[in-house]
Amino acid sequence: MPDIVLDKVSKSFTKQTQAVEDLSLVIPDGSFTTLLGPSGCGKTTTLRMIAGLEQPTSGEIIIGDSIVFSGKTGAFIAPAKRGLGLVFQSYALWPHFTVAENITFGLEINSVGKKEINKRLDEIASALRLDSLLGRYTSELSGGQQQRVAIARVLIMEPSVLLLDEPLSNLDATLRMEMRAELKRLHRETGATIIYVTHDQLEALTMSTHIALLNSGELQQFAAPLDIYEKPINQFAADFLGSPRINLVKATLNRDSLIWNGLKIALPEPVSPNCPNEVLLGLRAEELKLGRAADKNALVGRILTVLPTGADWFYQVEVSGQVLTIRHNDAVPFVYDDSVSVELNLSSIKVFDDLGKAVL
Amino acid sequence: MSLTLNRWRFYVTPERVLSLCFIVLLAYLVVVPLFMMVQETFIVHPLERFQIPGSKVNDFTLAHWYRFFISESAYTFFYRPLVNTLIISFGLSFLALLIGGAMAWLVVRTDMPLKETISNWAVVPYILPSWTLALAWISLFKNDRIGGEKGIVSALTGFEPPDWFAYGLFPITITLALHYFPFAFLLIGGALRNIDAQLEESASLVGAGRLAIIRRITIPLIVPSIMAAFLLSFARGLGTFGTPAFLGGPVREFVLSTSLYGNLIGQRPGLGYLAALVMIVIGMFVLYMDHRMVGARKSFVTVAGKGARLGLIELGRWRWALAGFILFFLFSVIVVPLVALAIDTVMLIPGVFSWENLTLHYWIGEASYSIGLGTGEAGILKNPQILSALKNTFSLAFVVAVVTCLIGILVGYAIVKRRGTFISKCLDQISFLPYLIPSIALGATLLAMFAVPRGPIPSLHGSFLLLVIVCSISALPYAVKAGISAMRQIGGELEEAALMAGAGWWTRMRKIIVPIQKSTYFAGMLLPFISVTRELSLVILLVTPTTQLATTISLLFTDRGWYPYTNGIVFILTVVVVGCTVLSRRVMGTSLAKGLGG
Repeated sequence: MPDIVLDKVSKSFTKQTQAVEDLSLVIPDGSFTTLLGPSGCGKTTTLRMIAGLEQPTSGEIIIGDSIVFSGKTGAFIAPAKRGLGLVFQSYALWPHFTVAENITFGLEINSVGKKEINKRLDEIASALRLDSLLGRYTSELSGGQQQRVAIARVLIMEPSVLLLDEPLSNLDATLRMEMRAELKRLHRETGATIIYVTHDQLEALTMSTHIALLNSGELQQFAAPLDIYEKPINQFAADFLGSPRINLVKATLNRDSLIWNGLKIALPEPVSPNCPNEVLLGLRAEELKLGRAADKNALVGRILTVLPTGADWFYQVEVSGQVLTIRHNDAVPFVYDDSVSVELNLSSIKVFDDLGKAVL
Repeated sequence: MSLTLNRWRFYVTPERVLSLCFIVLLAYLVVVPLFMMVQETFIVHPLERFQIPGSKVNDFTLAHWYRFFISESAYTFFYRPLVNTLIISFGLSFLALLIGGAMAWLVVRTDMPLKETISNWAVVPYILPSWTLALAWISLFKNDRIGGEKGIVSALTGFEPPDWFAYGLFPITITLALHYFPFAFLLIGGALRNIDAQLEESASLVGAGRLAIIRRITIPLIVPSIMAAFLLSFARGLGTFGTPAFLGGPVREFVLSTSLYGNLIGQRPGLGYLAALVMIVIGMFVLYMDHRMVGARKSFVTVAGKGARLGLIELGRWRWALAGFILFFLFSVIVVPLVALAIDTVMLIPGVFSWENLTLHYWIGEASYSIGLGTGEAGILKNPQILSALKNTFSLAFVVAVVTCLIGILVGYAIVKRRGTFISKCLDQISFLPYLIPSIALGATLLAMFAVPRGPIPSLHGSFLLLVIVCSISALPYAVKAGISAMRQIGGELEEAALMAGAGWWTRMRKIIVPIQKSTYFAGMLLPFISVTRELSLVILLVTPTTQLATTISLLFTDRGWYPYTNGIVFILTVVVVGCTVLSRRVMGTSLAKGLGG
């Protein structure tokens, strides 16, 4: 099965705006790659270009051995011939067909024999637990069932690459959790490459093997989820991944240390002299520790808001005029206006210059 | 090389090809005729040679413009009809707005009983041929000015209605208002229904009283719909021919449409085309004003949609009284006229109310010069001329319904698929253009275009095809609007899913797009079928003895004063049209209100 290569792919719909700009990406065979970014970042456009529903303005797209699009030679392979399956955001189930008709439509128009169709339908229906629903019309199904039909309709064509366009956005929270697990299972069992579009960073973190983080049509970072989380390449990546949002505070960078509010953070190795002095330090909620007594190596803060989520307790804490969000799960919770100590417990040092680029 | 071919095929998509084809076709059938018509106002026509000394046919001349706007006879040709037209159009629009708006408010916002019945009946006046009411008015209030027979009122009571009441501007305005008020009812009703209750509730929470809410919140919110209804009635009133011809003719009171007809069919085609031009200019001006005044506010109506349900205003003891009054009103404008027409067709001598005078002669009698009016014409159901006209009407209505439905599907598809592009906007605009052109003037443009052979296209005058073209063009804006909204509803992904599965364009159309939208298309066919069945203004300039339609032939009978025939034909058309509406409602659950699109 094929790697998918995007080589300097650009797409503009109007002369003024660039939907996707110079995107180069190698999506490894068998990976679960998520195209992640805020709305309007070009992720769906990228997916549609891979599918062949949009044509890039320039660049080249290669699936396995075949060039499916090339701006230079004018090569273009029709969507249906690319060996891809696409699950639409709205599912796009045909309302005038039954579940079975929806699933088998593609095989029928490709003149697959009746017997073969029925055999494959049985297989796919039992794999996706749709057996009892085959005779129904799609409007009678629940959201989760509709989605399984949409996936079955695509899988029955036995694609080597599965494209999913925000498939969970129309589901409620509990169903979404279930479907995440289901999709991961699907990935494991079929071994197909999955390209998944979402704006939900949590979904991306939990499901993918790779994340391509996009913003305003440009690729920000392409790496494994935890790599992006730990070592964001820029402020946007640091800010977009993680919930609650990362705390960004002003700090001073010296040759071998970082000073924040008088607190000295030793650097693993000295930085080059042309690094800036004034930087932004990124502190995730779990990298800060709250305590009762003031330690000599700790700052003093005051609790502004208590935000329990059930499993975790988050606090907004004011530390010398700045508000930080901090996770703290000790048995005895703090209350409003408590005076607390704030300590650092960094898992990685995330420092950005005034352009938002990671410094270290 | 083959790779480039692939790329080329990606660009030559069905929707692009469709868009371009339709732009060219519509430009040829709508835009070019407009220019041809302007050209006609500057040339000498065969009959005009003798009126313009020393001229030859097809010479360039400014004589028409001079005569129409400046000369001593300009008052008769232009200014008087213009003033009459404006009085009638403004009058009927205000009146229609008042009637339709009040009914819509009662139906949507109050706890008045029998709403369903009222809503169903309220659209019927629009379904009827627009001049049914004019004919009924004549049957009822005819005085002795036009021939000896008496009208029903005069025959029964002995009271002779005065001329200003029986003929001229007053009855024209009233009968047209009664025909066009369903526009206001549907448009304003739709807007009222879509107002988000929270907008009104927030006003009442800050202390606004019921009247203040209506005045400061409700009415401003529906201003765009009020304007739309006003302008639609205005523009339609402008282009209508039958009513002013029937009611204005006897007192020689002309409007632009009748002046256009008289000149174009008579000795002065140049002046006729000028009248058409003036009507088109007024139509465009009206739409421009609409755009200027409510363009920015149009979004209001669509703002809400999903808002909370509105609380109904309690009318208390007025509930039944109001419902009764409205039903009585609808009864008087629907049933009474039809009964009056029917009575006319079964009386041997008009205006003589006695059992001996009852007859089916005008329905099934043989041709005779001695019985009744002595017309020498066979009864309606035996008259070959009338039967062939009826056949023409229904064939035309059917063909136009199918053609516009197809165009609606394809153009709607092309516009939505290419949404946002220049071509899509262009197609959208051009298919909307006929909406601005008063119907009789649209007929005039096509007459200018196709009366003579032009290049490889032979003269289409007197052909069935020309009637199909003019009716299809006039129905185009509605058909395309319906097609667009149907396509928007199903969205692009349903089709793309089929594309991903490997279905070609034809398969996608046949198996996905068309089956999904079946019922919308059926509703979309009903409207053109009905409009064509009762169309007069649009086709009056284009029919010839061989392509006579039921409506135009009834006009001939009216000219000779043979009202039983006219009334009988109109009665048949009415029954068919109402029957179709009811049937389609029963079978497909489609309603005309939907087709009009609010």
